[in-house]
Parts: sequence; structure tokens; C-alpha cells
Amino acid sequence: MSLIQLENLTRRYGRRRGVERVSLSVPEEVLFGFLGPNGAGKTTTIRVMLGFLRPTSGAARIFGRDCWRESKAIKRDVGYLPGDLRLPAWMNGTQALSIFGSVRGRDLSRSGTELAGRFDLDLDVKVRDMSRGMRQKLGLILALAQSPCLLVLDEPTSSLDPLMQQVLHDSLRQLAAAGHTVFFSSHSLSEVEQLCDRVASVRNGELVANESLATLRERSGHDVTIWWKTDSQVRGLAPPEFLKLTRCDDAVWQGTLQGPVQRLVDFLAGKPVEDLSIGRPDLESLFRRFYEQEQGGHR
Amino acid sequence: MNRGLLLRAFREMWPATLLLGLVLVGVEAALAFVLPKFGGQMSQSWLQLDFARGIMQAMLGTQIAERIGPQMFQAMAWVHPVPLALIWAHAIVSCTRVPAGEVDRGTVDVLLGLPVSRGEVFFSETIVWLICGAAIHAAALAGNLLGGLGAPSAERPELARLGIVLVNLFCLYAAVGGLAWLVSSMSDRRGRAMTALFVVLLALFLLNYLAQFWQPLEKFVFLSPLHYHRPVNALTSGAWPWKDLAVLLGVGGALWLLAGAVFARRDLCTV
Repeated sequence: MSLIQLENLTRRYGRRRGVERVSLSVPEEVLFGFLGPNGAGKTTTIRVMLGFLRPTSGAARIFGRDCWRESKAIKRDVGYLPGDLRLPAWMNGTQALSIFGSVRGRDLSRSGTELAGRFDLDLDVKVRDMSRGMRQKLGLILALAQSPCLLVLDEPTSSLDPLMQQVLHDSLRQLAAAGHTVFFSSHSLSEVEQLCDRVASVRNGELVANESLATLRERSGHDVTIWWKTDSQVRGLAPPEFLKLTRCDDAVWQGTLQGPVQRLVDFLAGKPVEDLSIGRPDLESLFRRFYEQEQGGHR
Repeated sequence: MNRGLLLRAFREMWPATLLLGLVLVGVEAALAFVLPKFGGQMSQSWLQLDFARGIMQAMLGTQIAERIGPQMFQAMAWVHPVPLALIWAHAIVSCTRVPAGEVDRGTVDVLLGLPVSRGEVFFSETIVWLICGAAIHAAALAGNLLGGLGAPSAERPELARLGIVLVNLFCLYAAVGGLAWLVSSMSDRRGRAMTALFVVLLALFLLNYLAQFWQPLEKFVFLSPLHYHRPVNALTSGAWPWKDLAVLLGVGGALWLLAGAVFARRDLCTV
């Protein structure tokens, strides 16, 4: 069953595009990465999901409920961390847990204190005296403390040091393992690669990928580099259609292999190959390639 | 009603309420102490001057020919620009907190990320505003009674009549608050909302004032909320100004409802 369902979701700000016809389905119990460069439409999508913004067209549903009309019911089981977290300056962590718990009708002090220990945050410090990283930790504690069915995090690691990023990753993995769903927006591909089971990517407000990381990698082919023997004559040799080259000269061919490796091995048989490198692309180069293709398509 | 929202709103409102309340106690006490003395010394000679009578009529919003007496100077304490400015400042500060204030300081995402409807937020804020508003008016009354202790007991206003004035003043406060809610619900910047309200209220105050001197403005004076706040009538006759109360509450309520409708339907997030 899909926990989050976006159908042709469009949200415009006057003439400016926020997101355009985004369709997305997030199953239960996954760590879902929502990727895109700054200004791609990630935050707009999240704000529509939480009922802050009304969709221009299309539909957004969480737990099968409409995100605009049934926002309150949805948010009972949602923990949320905004991308640009601001909390009232007079609050300290203990007061924040007390007030947020009171709004939710739950006692968050015990779980909050435990999380504060994990994130190494002093709950007696007032927000006005906190650094950006401390505020981010408090925001995470407030989102995680109620152990929500769905956790929506908008670039949660942006102000955390590497140690705390690791603590957060561990906490999110634990949550997903316990049957919770995490919707995690980020512009850091390596972070999503480390953490997520599935990934969707937006660019210029449009969805450009939505699949599991394994499928994405499978679809993306292999990075290939072929070094020819220096005295060989490969000038007349045409590359096969399954090899898309970005560099092609007498000494080196470099590009992407689409399909099984065996085809390349068969092609190279009997040819003057000095050296050969075949590997899976990392997510970073994969998405860069993806974006470049899309950009080419748009021109 | 959500207890957490109420607690949060109270926590954020009490410092401003306490501060303005204390200042109001002092100002009202000073006015209630000084004005009747001033009246006793000056009324007979000074008020024979047309210009002086005009100013008094403009402030009190009514003809004063038959009302020259201690009640007129007691009433001045309730229409004086300083206490009015303090009370209206409280209304503006309270009623622009949500949504303009929340959007402006960037906390609206966290607030609306909680399992609360916009209606609950709006009602909770309204309840806290009205309770704090009642406290502000109680402070004004306390100051007025305190200042009145300096006058002979025969010249002190009756408490029942002061009650009528206070209810009228609270209805005026509600009307100003309703306008503030509406402006706030359409705004993302609290500073802009407060500035716009200040300009509008100043214009309405001046309209009520200048209409006493300039005939063409008289037909527009019904637009000023001060036109429906004439404490001198209540203090002299002891009659309830039902029509004025109904107009102020009706306008305030209508503006508040409109604000709620805008608040429920508009996009809300940190900009």
C-alpha cells in the first residue's frame, strides 16, 4: 500500500513554477530519498503534502487522505522537520517538548530526553542561545520524539556535523526497521545513496526519476574505459551502439555501457586492448548524467 | 480547544500584556487624578472659548453644552489619545501574531506541522487575545479607580457607569482587533500589517476629530469606530449605548469571521 500518493501534482506561484505534474508513490516502511538541486521543487512538494499550500491541480494524499482537506488528521501520525527550521526564541528544549507534547496530547518528555542524549543536546538552553546545528537537533528531536508512522524531513542534515549526521542516519534506519516510513529530502546524493531504499528526483519542478536505487543503477549501465595499445590502429573502428562514448581517440575510449557486460567482452575479443575498466557509476555521476540528459532534452 | 496552543499563545502574549497593562494603569491613574482638578479650575472660563469647546467636543465625540461638569472630565480619561493608543497597540500586537507574525518570524511551518487545524489555531489565538484584552481593560479600570481616589468621593464616577464605559471600550477594542485580524490574515509581514493598521486607525481617529471642525467630513464620521465610543453619555446618564455596542461588535465580529475565512483558505508557509 502507498503511504504517500501524489498524482499529477502541480503547484505554481503565480507565473513561477513550483512543481509540475509530479506523480509519486511512496510505499510503507521505506527510507525514501527525495532528491534535487536547490530550487527544484522539493520543499514545495513537502509543503503541499503537509497542507501548507493548496495544489494548483492534481492530488496529494497521505494515508489515503487528502493533504489539503484532511491535513490535521494526517499530521497526527506525521513528524515533520522544515528545511529552514525556526522555533520561538524564548523556548528551551524542555519547554518545546512540553508544549509540542501538549498540542499532540502525548507526553514527549521521556522519548525527547532520550533523543537529546543521543544527539548530545542540552535541553535547558534557550533557542535564542542555540547555534544553528543545536536548533536543527532540537527540531529533529521534536519530529522523532513521538515515533511517527511517517517522518518528513526537509534537508535534515544541512547543519549537522558528520558525527551527528551518522547518529541521525542510525536513528532513521532504526525507525524504518521498526516499520516506520521516512521521506527524506536532500540535495546530497551520497547521503541518499547511503541511507535510502528508494529514490525520486525532481529538477525544475518536474520528476525525473522514481525508482529503487538498485533499478536506477541497473538502468544506468556501467562506466567503461578502454585503453588501446599505443601501436594499434583503432581509427577506423566504430563503437557499437550499446557503448555511448564521451571520449573517443586512438588511445582511450570512455563512456557508458548499456546492457550486459558480455556484449562488450564479445566486441573486444581479438582487438588490441591494453587495459579495461568496468564499474558501476556512483549516484553522484549517475544523477549528473541524468540531469545533463534532461537538460539536453529541454533545449 | 487545544491546550498546547493556548499555552503557547499565553506564553507569548503575557509580556506585552503586562507591560502595556502597567503603563495603562499609570496613564489612567494620572488622567483620572489630573483631569477633574483641571476641569474644576478651568471649565467655566476656558470652555467659553469656541475653539476650546470645539476641541473638547472633538475628543468626546458629542455636544457638551449641557454636560459641562465633573463627568465630562472623567470621560476625558477614556477618550484621551494616550490610553486609546495603548489599548489599540495591544489589539494590534495581539491580532497580528497569527498568521502574519508566525510567517514573518518563520515559525509557521513548525506550528502548522503539528496536528492542529487552522481553525484551532485561530480560535486559540482569539481566546488568548480576548483574555489578555480583558486584562488590559481591567488595568485601565484599576488605574482610573486609583487616580479617582485623589478626588472627593462626590466627584468620583459611579462604578456601574464606569462598567458601561469599559464595556463600550472593550467593544471598540474588539472592532479594532477584528480589523487587525483581517489585515494580518492577508499579510506575510507583521511590520507591514502593523504599519497599515496604524495608518488606518490614525486616519479614523483624525476623521472623528476633524469632523467636529470641518462640515464636509461629518457625513463620513460613521466610519470611525470612535464615533461609537462616547463615554460622557454613559457617565452622565448611566444608559447603555446598545446601538453603539452592536455596531462595534457587529463590525469586529464580521471582520474577524472574514479573517478566519481568509486564514483557512490561504497558502501559509515561511517565505
